[in-house]
Amino acid sequence: MSNPAKRQTTALDKALRFGLYAMLIAMAAVYLAPFIVMLLTSLKDVEEIRTGTLLSLPGSIDFSAWSKAWSGACTGSQCEGMAPYFFNSFKIVIPAVAISTLLGAINGYVISHWKFRGSDFFFAALLVGCFIPFQVILLPMARTLGWLGIANTTAGLVMVHVVYGVAFTTLFFRNFYQAIPVELVKAARLDGAGFFTIFYRIILPVSTPIIVVTVIWQFTQIWNDFLFGVAFSGFDTQPVTVALNNLVNTSFGGKEYNVDMAAAIIAALPTLLVYVLAGKYFVRGLTAGAVKG
Amino acid sequence: MASLVIENVKKRYGQTEILKGIDISIEAGEFLILVGPSGCGKSTLMNSIAGLEDVSEGRILIGDQDVTFSSPKDRDIAMVFQSYALYPNMTVAENISFGLEMRKVPKDEREAEVQRVADMLQIGHLLKRKPAQLSGGQRQRVAMGRALARRPKMYLFDEPLSNLDAKLRVEMRTEIKKLHQKLGTTIVYVTHDQIEAMTLADRIAVMKDGEVQQLGTPQEIYDNPTNLFVAGFMGSPAMNFIPAKVVEHSGSYALELQATQPTLVPFPSADSLKAYAGKEILLGLRPEMITEPQPHKEGAEFVVKADIDVEVIEPMGADTMVLTRISDAEVNCRCNPAYPAKANETIAMMFDTSKAVAFDKDTGQRIDN
Repeated sequence: MSNPAKRQTTALDKALRFGLYAMLIAMAAVYLAPFIVMLLTSLKDVEEIRTGTLLSLPGSIDFSAWSKAWSGACTGSQCEGMAPYFFNSFKIVIPAVAISTLLGAINGYVISHWKFRGSDFFFAALLVGCFIPFQVILLPMARTLGWLGIANTTAGLVMVHVVYGVAFTTLFFRNFYQAIPVELVKAARLDGAGFFTIFYRIILPVSTPIIVVTVIWQFTQIWNDFLFGVAFSGFDTQPVTVALNNLVNTSFGGKEYNVDMAAAIIAALPTLLVYVLAGKYFVRGLTAGAVKG
Repeated sequence: MASLVIENVKKRYGQTEILKGIDISIEAGEFLILVGPSGCGKSTLMNSIAGLEDVSEGRILIGDQDVTFSSPKDRDIAMVFQSYALYPNMTVAENISFGLEMRKVPKDEREAEVQRVADMLQIGHLLKRKPAQLSGGQRQRVAMGRALARRPKMYLFDEPLSNLDAKLRVEMRTEIKKLHQKLGTTIVYVTHDQIEAMTLADRIAVMKDGEVQQLGTPQEIYDNPTNLFVAGFMGSPAMNFIPAKVVEHSGSYALELQATQPTLVPFPSADSLKAYAGKEILLGLRPEMITEPQPHKEGAEFVVKADIDVEVIEPMGADTMVLTRISDAEVNCRCNPAYPAKANETIAMMFDTSKAVAFDKDTGQRIDN
């Protein structure tokens, strides 16, 4: 700014600014504190934890709690650490995210560009799915999985998450595709393209922002899910969240807080990573429908 | 190239009837314009021709083929949209060749066709760009290129110029006309711009409330409108509608207007006014028929001179529009800029009623034909 009458920065301004930053830093600290405590605790040994305070720094950096949490800690009667369950979670999350995202995309495409009699009602009914609490469907879903013969399997959990996720993914894609002009689909129809050709050649290529949003959302939801995991998983298909719970609740002798903390951080890492890598697309994608680009 | 026949086409959404029995037929190679105000059903009719919407009743024939129930891709037509509807993820070349690809045209033929179209529309230098990198006029050309590449039986244009600025619109209008003259294909073109309709069309269908009000050549529509709506819609400034009383005059009928003084004007087909003797009708007179007194017209059969009270002057360069009030209706006169008309003064004007038309005041229908 080359405004000649630029206002002088007064002492009061400086004080206010200082206060503002102090407040922001304090709030950030409050939010970060649990993670810092977890990280610090995971690097201490049991003796240090007992004698020191929550925020005291570890005497030496010690990763043994991490390796124990990863491959040696007991979760119930098994003592293989978090590793097998960590991979279990991936076996659930990857297909569940992929399938629910694809279904949501096709649903959204149909609801916004291939309207049929009752399609608005169909969409409204689907939306109700966003508001059904997890607990409500536990029993009927257990019956259904049993009937389908996929109770206690990874496939069963994938199905539960797909069914539950489709309502959200459809909503995301529908709102995004609503902003794509109908003429685009009309033009493609006149050019001779069919339903799936238009989807694959015209619609999907412009869907990157909303795919990123949906994948982040679904990944976080499914990875962090505990209730479905504990209710519908078998002994060897438990996701990482269930294993973490078992690990923390299993203790022979003294409580190993350092191992608990390391295990908790391990369980949270993938979602953290997804946010760090794709977070900026998330915000961009959420607002993409609002502003015509 | 193919003829188009639309027979008694109706379209209903629930209880509301959008198209109320449309009958239009044009020859192969004709340029048909559907014109009318928003909501008159012209876009619905175009979508029905394209097959993007089903009709509730009636038949549509392209060439000799009944396509009423054919899917859009089987009708062999191409459409240019108002929003251009270019595929945003594809380059210009891919946009143009997409329709050919869908019709399984071999790659080398597609490339040759893209080149031909690009040369014709002078967009060769844009072929590798994405639509987002083009200006409005360039997108418009690409959209036309996409339609041209398939060499369909018929082209549909849905308000293709309305997103362009005024200057570009006039340029593209001329280019579309040139293109039609060169290719000689059948074109159906939707617009709400009556100047576009006049300049481009071989035939115009003026639509209102889901009905064709009149189908005819531009000159027919301009000179012989069937009703008040058509007369008022086509032409800018619009035709003047002057309330006039039908009076007996030397064995025939004439019209009495209230200019500065009560004025009697003759009417070409005076006998048609017989049923209205003593009643008021609406006299339709184009602005260019009320001018400054022109000596060479003096004494001609349907020419009358009268004084008017000038209200407003609007110089337009080539002409000057003089606004006045006759029989309590606002009236536009088109004068030579040299004519010294001044606001709030009284001046002589020449009324030429040789092309005047008359409408029933209540029904709005033409009386004199």
